[in-house]
Amino acid sequence: MFGRLLWRLLQGSRGRLIIALVALISGGAVISSLLNLDLDASRKLTREFRRFGANLVVTPQRGFAAPQSAAGASIPGSEIAGSGAPALMDQNAAMAGIEAARAPEFVAAAPFLYVTARSAGTDVVVAGAWLDEMPQIAPAWKIEGQGISARDDLAHCMIGHNVASQLHLAPGATLELDYMQRSVRLAIAGVVEAGGAEDNQVFVNLPVAQRLAALPGRIQLVEITAAGNARAISGYAARLAQALPGYQVRPIRQMAQAEGDLLARIQSLIVWMVALILALTALCVLATMSALAMERRNDVGLMKALGGSISRIVGLFLAEIGVLGAAGGIIGAAAGIALSRWMGQRVFHAPISARWEVFPLTIALMIGISLAAALPLRMLGKIKPAVILRGE
Amino acid sequence: MPILVQIEALRKQFGSVSALDGVSLSISEGEWIAIMGPSGSGKTTLINIIGGLDTPTSGHAIVGGTDVARLDEAGLTRFRAEKIGFIFQQFHLVPYLSALENVMLAQYFHSSTDEAEARAALDRVGLAARAEHLPGKLSGGEQQRVAVARALINHPKLILADEPTGNLDEANEKTVIRLLRELHAEGHTILMVTHDAAIGALAGRRIELAHGRLAQVTATTL
Repeated sequence: MFGRLLWRLLQGSRGRLIIALVALISGGAVISSLLNLDLDASRKLTREFRRFGANLVVTPQRGFAAPQSAAGASIPGSEIAGSGAPALMDQNAAMAGIEAARAPEFVAAAPFLYVTARSAGTDVVVAGAWLDEMPQIAPAWKIEGQGISARDDLAHCMIGHNVASQLHLAPGATLELDYMQRSVRLAIAGVVEAGGAEDNQVFVNLPVAQRLAALPGRIQLVEITAAGNARAISGYAARLAQALPGYQVRPIRQMAQAEGDLLARIQSLIVWMVALILALTALCVLATMSALAMERRNDVGLMKALGGSISRIVGLFLAEIGVLGAAGGIIGAAAGIALSRWMGQRVFHAPISARWEVFPLTIALMIGISLAAALPLRMLGKIKPAVILRGE
Repeated sequence: MPILVQIEALRKQFGSVSALDGVSLSISEGEWIAIMGPSGSGKTTLINIIGGLDTPTSGHAIVGGTDVARLDEAGLTRFRAEKIGFIFQQFHLVPYLSALENVMLAQYFHSSTDEAEARAALDRVGLAARAEHLPGKLSGGEQQRVAVARALINHPKLILADEPTGNLDEANEKTVIRLLRELHAEGHTILMVTHDAAIGALAGRRIELAHGRLAQVTATTL
């Protein structure tokens, strides 16, 4: 009988209920699309930020100074370094420590040694690293020619876009590097375009830089790429610092902060918009329910006269509004996910994936808001059947 | 016959207006009582209190051993569901429920629904073929017959009928009176408010109220 009554109630006031349903569907659609955008934007943004390069750097505890070029210019990108005398680390010890502290956030790590060498009469910054790790450390690099896929390839190098322009070099050409009476000849595998300091550098595998600098087994820093949001990366950095006494582990602040700030702003905006839409939806449902409660005064008075308890009667009406909320939530969530996909393409020019956790969340929110907006039903409890039956 | 309703010094005050002023009477099981009197004499107030729709200012209304005056809201609700069958002048059917569902609604609030029994009740009042119709599609007489079926469905100890024929044409009036007679003959206790002396004469006893007081009690010999 409960289901039968519920169906009749829904049918009996369908004009008013359709208004509430439209409000719930609209609210649900916008909320679901915002939540979907929020969740997917966080993921996308994190992924995008990862493309800009490593997000953690490990240096010796007392810091190190950027190596100076022959002309005295500091190495581009050395703003991560502190001041003081150059400090070097033992490559094996540092990498073994990082490996021992491996966590789910870990993606890739590469040791670096910088040398300022000369080539064709010009100072060039030579970055010795594990070049086979670079696709993971710097996935945004655009490489003309070939990358270097083995860390023991000591015959090839990659050069930055500006170096290539300045020295008129192209993939396949030979580059000679000189440093302190030592020299090395390398074939250019590819030209790197990174849009940053890397465009002014020459990339060689680490043993080449160590041989040139006469610093075998020594490195200046380790760059690490970790996955996750700013908070997860900070947590990983803290755990890594604990596991690496004698080393300093720091997030690359600019990156982490930019990501954190942007995400915080987006999330704050979305939270406020969701709250506003919930409030507007609730007001619309509230207005409908107030009108409905007035309309049903007589029915409630009669039901009470027939022995219907107020909890049973209001329960019936709450079930009705709950069904409405669920319907609004389901339809709204589906429409919202479609809307967010459309917005992703039109606004962000990127596909937004459907996040299925948004579905139950939107439905729960719409049911909750419907029940909260059913507050006017409280007045039904005060109805006196004798008064209603008298026609007052 | 045992006493079903015992009214003692019942008073009901609406502000400064005294709707009932010390009414006392008793009704035995199986009686058919007509309550008569001019408008404002307290007839409807009396049956509302007996039916648990209203509470007295003072006095007692004991129905089937339960003092209605002492019941709280929840107790009154249970009392109405279990002991009383109402028939109203305005029919008071739920407009978006069919005739059958209006009868089943009383079952639902009483305990559990039994569609076959509700259909049998409608059949008894001659509305088996109109069971699925909404009240708006039924005539006044048919609506009142649905109300009679609804009043009977839970086998109440007492049927309270407030002007049950007041809104009916002559043909439908006869039908409803016939139904009330049948119910009485089956042993139901009926307390009926009416303005119509001819209908009042059908009851076993007529109680006349005036200004909230018992003015006259007349036994009818048919």
